[in-house]
Amino acid sequence: MPYLKEERPETLGVEGEWNIGAYTWKANRLLEEFVEGLKQRKLVGSLCFGCGKVIVPPRNLCGRCHRKMEGRVVVSDVGTVTCFIISPPIKRGKIKVLGMDPVEQGLIQEDEVIIPVFVKFDGADSNLGTLLIGADPKEVHIGMRVRAVWAKETRGELSDLEGVEPLR
Amino acid sequence: MRRVAIVGYAQTQHQFDMQKTREDMVFEVVKEALSHAGITRGEVDTVVTASTDFLDGRTISSVFLSMAVGAYLKDESKTEEDGTSAAWYAFMRILSGVHDVALVEAHTQGSTFNPHQVSFYTLDPLFDRQIGVLNDVSAAAIQARMYMSSYGVSEEEIAMVSVKNLSNAAKNPFAQRRMPDLTVEEVLGSKLYYHPIRELMMSPISDGACALVLASEEKAKEITDTPVWIEGVGVCQDFYLRDRNLLELDSLRKAAKDAYEMAGIRDPYAELDVFEVSEKFAHEELMIYEALGLCRRGKGKVLLERGATEKGGEIPVNPSGGALAADPVCATGLVRMVEAAKQIRGEAGEYQIPGVRRALAHGQFGMCAQKNWVFILGGEG
Ligand SMILES: [Zn+2]
Repeated sequence: MPYLKEERPETLGVEGEWNIGAYTWKANRLLEEFVEGLKQRKLVGSLCFGCGKVIVPPRNLCGRCHRKMEGRVVVSDVGTVTCFIISPPIKRGKIKVLGMDPVEQGLIQEDEVIIPVFVKFDGADSNLGTLLIGADPKEVHIGMRVRAVWAKETRGELSDLEGVEPLR
Repeated sequence: MRRVAIVGYAQTQHQFDMQKTREDMVFEVVKEALSHAGITRGEVDTVVTASTDFLDGRTISSVFLSMAVGAYLKDESKTEEDGTSAAWYAFMRILSGVHDVALVEAHTQGSTFNPHQVSFYTLDPLFDRQIGVLNDVSAAAIQARMYMSSYGVSEEEIAMVSVKNLSNAAKNPFAQRRMPDLTVEEVLGSKLYYHPIRELMMSPISDGACALVLASEEKAKEITDTPVWIEGVGVCQDFYLRDRNLLELDSLRKAAKDAYEMAGIRDPYAELDVFEVSEKFAHEELMIYEALGLCRRGKGKVLLERGATEKGGEIPVNPSGGALAADPVCATGLVRMVEAAKQIRGEAGEYQIPGVRRALAHGQFGMCAQKNWVFILGGEG
């Protein structure tokens, strides 16, 4: 623990665990509609009949209008990068992205970087966080046009959308 | 000082494992409270919510609620603990003169994470957590035993509180436990947790939410012909479990004294028409009678036996069924405020007490009611 002082004349460290245990979050069934769409290689969003905004992934409530978003739309699988991160070199087994290990999955080689991006798909008013695949970190920029990369076999899971790749 | 009134409210039908997400539940209760007040989100100046991060399953748990609670691009704050703390804070926001209309919301979905497990984490980690079996239920058992042996109170007498409240709840469509024909024998036959605490002597695990709209005097009169005024408020915090005299609810006694003083009440027994209190355990209700100054120490059972706190009695306590009938933890005290306001406005349906002009609402938080809030509410006149 490099942050603890070497000499601690006035306090003691008492070790223990703070195990919160099992928690069950209640999710809206919209999540099912979204992953069902992914299975068909479609991006499903919710549409607010109050302000016309389209949110992907879908959400039940519009905060602007304080009403339920009752519409459903499928947006384009082509979109624009609105912001991005370039990670430090990634080791196998170190992180999981959308439930998968990007090295294990063969999306990148060990010690390559991953590039998480926010993408605004054409037709959507919101950002979806995903990975940019098959791009040189040097070429990434805000405004970059990208297309969805789908799993070879889609199963109705969040990982059906593996990421996005540069639109060439 | 400015006057502040309750001008609208709503609560959910409290139940275990409600088939709604936290956000949807909060959205619906807030919509209903706004519509009960007859105002739109646009007229709300400030939003104050109450919940705990533990029970919400995320830290800074109000972040995702901004849309549901109608706080998008508005002045917003979250208090911890019971919903009466949010009401108290919103009340002060209006008193400050900066805001005129406040929306107050509180909620818990106990089905998603056991509130009794949460109580364990409120214990001092260095000593009390090491005991392993100390939690809110066993702490209540310690308190109940002390109370019973000091004042000669029997398990039957404590069970009578459950019988009164849960049969009252039979008329309350928002309650979770509605037991019109409950008997003392059934309460004493229910599952034993830590002696003498049995299942029907402790509040149930509930999912639920509650919202109310507060307004300054000028605004309140624009919004409604039947404002419910906040005439007095008291808040008080006691020592932590180990350092307290568990035989007394000293912080409630002090909170009530402050609230009475602010409302100009000298004799609560004579001047208040109905009481809605947060008795998380049956024995607590007897202790609450005493702390509210309705009887002498140790004499709570006499009020109960005499029927004084029954719906038809001189000082009805918990005609809605109280916390024993539903306990969506952080919403529970706020529900008491709504129930008290309903009694004043004559909106309590089948459990309406006739001629209510002034009512008391009580919220609590912490083991053995460590912290207490008391509101005195009153109608026009
Ligand atoms: Zn909208």
